[in-house]
Amino acid sequence: MWASIAWRLFWRELKRGELWVIAFALFLAVFSVVMLTGITESVRSALYQRSASFLAADLVLRSSRPFQPELMATADAVGLQQAQQMLFDSMLFSDSEMQLVTVKAVSSEFPLRGELVLRRSHQPGQGELASFSAGEIWLEPRLLSLLAVSPGDRLELGMASLQVAGVIEAEPDAPLNVFGGNPRVLMHLDDVAATEVVQPGSRIGYRYLFAGSTPQLAELRQQLDPQLSVHEQWQELDPETAIGAAIQRAESFLLLAGLLGIVLAASASAVAANRYRQRHAEAVAVIKALGATTTTARKIYCSHLLLVSVFSSVLAIIAGIVLVVFIQQGIQLWMDDYQPAFSSRPLWMGLLTAAICAGLFAARPVWQLAAVPAIAVLRQLPAWRFDVWHLATGALAVWLLMWLFSKEFMLSLILFAACVTFALVLMGLAALLVKVAKPMAAGQSSALKLALANLRRRLWQNSFQLLTFSMALFLTLLLYFLRVELLDQWQAQIPAGAPNQFLVNISAAERPGIEAFAAQHQLELDTFYPIVRGRLTATNEQQLRQRASKEEDTERVGVGRELNLTWTSELPANNSVLHGRWFSEQTLGEVSVESELAERLGILLGDQLEFSIGGRTVSATVSSIRLVDWNTLQPNFYMILSADLLADFPASYLSAFYLDAERAQVLNQLNREFPTVIVLNVDAIIQQVQDIIAQVTVALSSILLLVFAAAVLVLVAQVQATMEQREQELAILRTLGARYAFLRNAMLLEFAALGALAGILATVLAEAVLGVLQFRLFELPFQLHWNLWWIGPGFGVVVVTLLGWWQLRQLLAIQSSVLMRRAIYS
Amino acid sequence: MTLSPDIDIKATRLTKRVKLTEGSLTILNDLHLTIKRGESVAIVGASGSGKSTLLGILAGLDTASEGEVFLAGQPLHQLDEDARAGLRASHVGFVFQSFLLLPGLTALENITLPAELAGIRNAKDRGLELLAQVGLSERRDFYPTQLSGGEQQRVAIARAFITQPKILFADEPSANLDEKTGLLVEDLLFDLNQQQGTTLVLVTHKAELAERCQQQYLMHHGQLEQQLPSELQEQRHVG
Repeated sequence: MWASIAWRLFWRELKRGELWVIAFALFLAVFSVVMLTGITESVRSALYQRSASFLAADLVLRSSRPFQPELMATADAVGLQQAQQMLFDSMLFSDSEMQLVTVKAVSSEFPLRGELVLRRSHQPGQGELASFSAGEIWLEPRLLSLLAVSPGDRLELGMASLQVAGVIEAEPDAPLNVFGGNPRVLMHLDDVAATEVVQPGSRIGYRYLFAGSTPQLAELRQQLDPQLSVHEQWQELDPETAIGAAIQRAESFLLLAGLLGIVLAASASAVAANRYRQRHAEAVAVIKALGATTTTARKIYCSHLLLVSVFSSVLAIIAGIVLVVFIQQGIQLWMDDYQPAFSSRPLWMGLLTAAICAGLFAARPVWQLAAVPAIAVLRQLPAWRFDVWHLATGALAVWLLMWLFSKEFMLSLILFAACVTFALVLMGLAALLVKVAKPMAAGQSSALKLALANLRRRLWQNSFQLLTFSMALFLTLLLYFLRVELLDQWQAQIPAGAPNQFLVNISAAERPGIEAFAAQHQLELDTFYPIVRGRLTATNEQQLRQRASKEEDTERVGVGRELNLTWTSELPANNSVLHGRWFSEQTLGEVSVESELAERLGILLGDQLEFSIGGRTVSATVSSIRLVDWNTLQPNFYMILSADLLADFPASYLSAFYLDAERAQVLNQLNREFPTVIVLNVDAIIQQVQDIIAQVTVALSSILLLVFAAAVLVLVAQVQATMEQREQELAILRTLGARYAFLRNAMLLEFAALGALAGILATVLAEAVLGVLQFRLFELPFQLHWNLWWIGPGFGVVVVTLLGWWQLRQLLAIQSSVLMRRAIYS
Repeated sequence: MTLSPDIDIKATRLTKRVKLTEGSLTILNDLHLTIKRGESVAIVGASGSGKSTLLGILAGLDTASEGEVFLAGQPLHQLDEDARAGLRASHVGFVFQSFLLLPGLTALENITLPAELAGIRNAKDRGLELLAQVGLSERRDFYPTQLSGGEQQRVAIARAFITQPKILFADEPSANLDEKTGLLVEDLLFDLNQQQGTTLVLVTHKAELAERCQQQYLMHHGQLEQQLPSELQEQRHVG
């Protein structure tokens, strides 16, 4: 019986628009979550796939032991593609020259991800593209001049003679650190045995490269982890590189967008549920007066909620998935090798959100709706009392959603606390406004007074409206400014005109020549940094191990490689002293340590460090800890020593300059004039970083647009919620003779005032949260956003006024007689 | 307490108090009323005198603070809310001042709603019959917003009779209508009431309407005073 009534009422109410608000709110909630989760996953997957191209694989296992056939057999059994790689340093001999090089020997399958570009030519960009094969060796371009060879010549590596095939133009897993390492060569793995350079005790790096689906990779890790010894370790993307940081920041931002989308969705469903309760109270009283029990009424209206939840969720999930597929196709446009990954996470996250929004935000008002007494048909219902429990469960649900979605306890707690503080501040301000507006609104003789009176009345009765207006504006402003800030930060890391050519291995004698060359070609040379190679061996007389191991946790871990040590009395750009003081001209026996390295090695101010340099031991006292921005791709150093400690060691120098692509021939001239100076072109690396920044920018912009759309929809739902009350008031005012222009102006002023107030509140909160996020999430110093202070309130006034006008203009156009009729019979 | 079978409503020592911020307000004070089967009773009185409160308690929509109420032989004061709802579904019909039709249902569906709630099958034929009786056969699929005030009240009257109730409660049935339409609706209400032999309890402030009932009571200081037709006429002239 009740089911038939419920079913008919459901479709009729859906048709009449009664359920659209709640349906739309739930749709919005689920759609936001599916879309944001889907997009976040797609973009993250795209970024990781792109990052995989920097590893030349999806997953890399590094080992210092020769290749283990059983490991490869395990990967085969899992169904993964695989390749192998050996890395070692060796001397390479031509007829007239020799050079220490880093040899990369790879199997035929290399690379599994990314692109290896080889040219049968003496320089990149020219000559035929080729693939590698046994018996050949491919060189980094600078090696051709260093070894005085051309393609076709032969080189000796150990006992093997290999033919120079050409140059390496692009190498997916080339090291991003441009300031260390030898020139690189590439050869086939099958030729390694013939070189006989691999002897017991040789320092060889073995790498297993794997590619496949995420579950396959996870299975491999699961199977291999128990078998791994201290000699093996998985290789992750280095977070210290510019690309690693860009991906991490992008993830943080996308995550934040997801959280904010959930807050909006929750607000929308709460608004819709309350409106639904208010609008259906009379109908419930009638049904009960006509003989329905509370249980029957509850079944009828709860089934509406269930049906509308299912209806909205299904539509939202379909719409969300279609959008995600569309976006994945978009990603494929700029990333040819992108493989869309379809995970079930957006689906179940959407369903979970639907269940939480319907169950914790909408269900309670609908449940309470059935408790409306039948006597309400004869006398006016008392005003709905503020439901503290609904608020508390809703708030708890918001936080739980934030936590579940972000998996970040502290971040969700901070955001939630900010939201609660915002709500409390808003309530206080609403109360203040009541006091201010009351005397101003006395005697409604002007549109402004009427607007203030309306604002005062509605603010007091439903300050939740102001809360959601402000929240929607706040979220939009927050996302917009975060996006601007992130892009600014990223762009600032590699500003236009930043040095893109690095000169390494400059001898003291060559410095004047290089300076003259730079002046002649109008090149702006960076500082000359002296470099001495040395190894950190002890802190406070305690010896450091050179590599980390699983067993010896108590022993201190060293850096693991030789460091480029420099000395200077000037603090380098992009460096700041965190603790201690920078050197003075008279400083003796001191060292300044980069902060992350200091933290990793447990180095504190005043510690005594020992370095082994050219067989001699040098001691230095830590006098400062420096914060270094590694993302700038500018010369940076872990250790800077005072001049007295290093000045006696033979040093080479490093400098840098910016060169337009059109003036590339200057490099040839430089090579000819200074054959021993190594020129490193970091354009390719900068291009890679800028490429990622551009892609992330597109992702950020689209998410900002979507969150703004969601915010607009919440505002629309809120204005809709006051429609009946406005219609009745309009009917009365029209009857009393109010003119169209008067009512229009009052309405516009009311929304403008509401928008301004919401805008100001949103601005204050956005500034506060930006500060917290800058500090906590992005590790940036606090900066006041001056633009926010005029954009926020201005944006509030314009958006809220336009939305209010857009929705209510039709109400103003209704004839007085129609309004009166509706007011009487409704 | 044994109730005579010819009595449909009996209220004894009925008191209703409500709590206000300023204290307690007594709306009904030791009120007694007996209404026989098929009788039509008008309760008149000034606005705020407690007419609607009394009607709500007699119909089982609300409960009294003290006293006993019997409706269709059942002790309302001993029944819980669900049991009172069941009693209303099977024995009571309502006509309200502001019609109170469900906007999501058509005219016919609004009429058959009480029958469906009471679990009566095939209510549609009876609904169509009633729709014809109130002269709205052509409006069967119209929604309330598509009907005039008079038409809405005629639908509400048809709805009140769908379950063939023993007792009909009407609260100011013509107060929201113009005089001419109000008269038409009142005629319809009394005609159907006579045809069905229903007990009618009518709350009104209109003396003309009250005069059409067999018994008239004036609500005054929380109690009922039986009125003579001459007294009502006097009130009408004064009013």
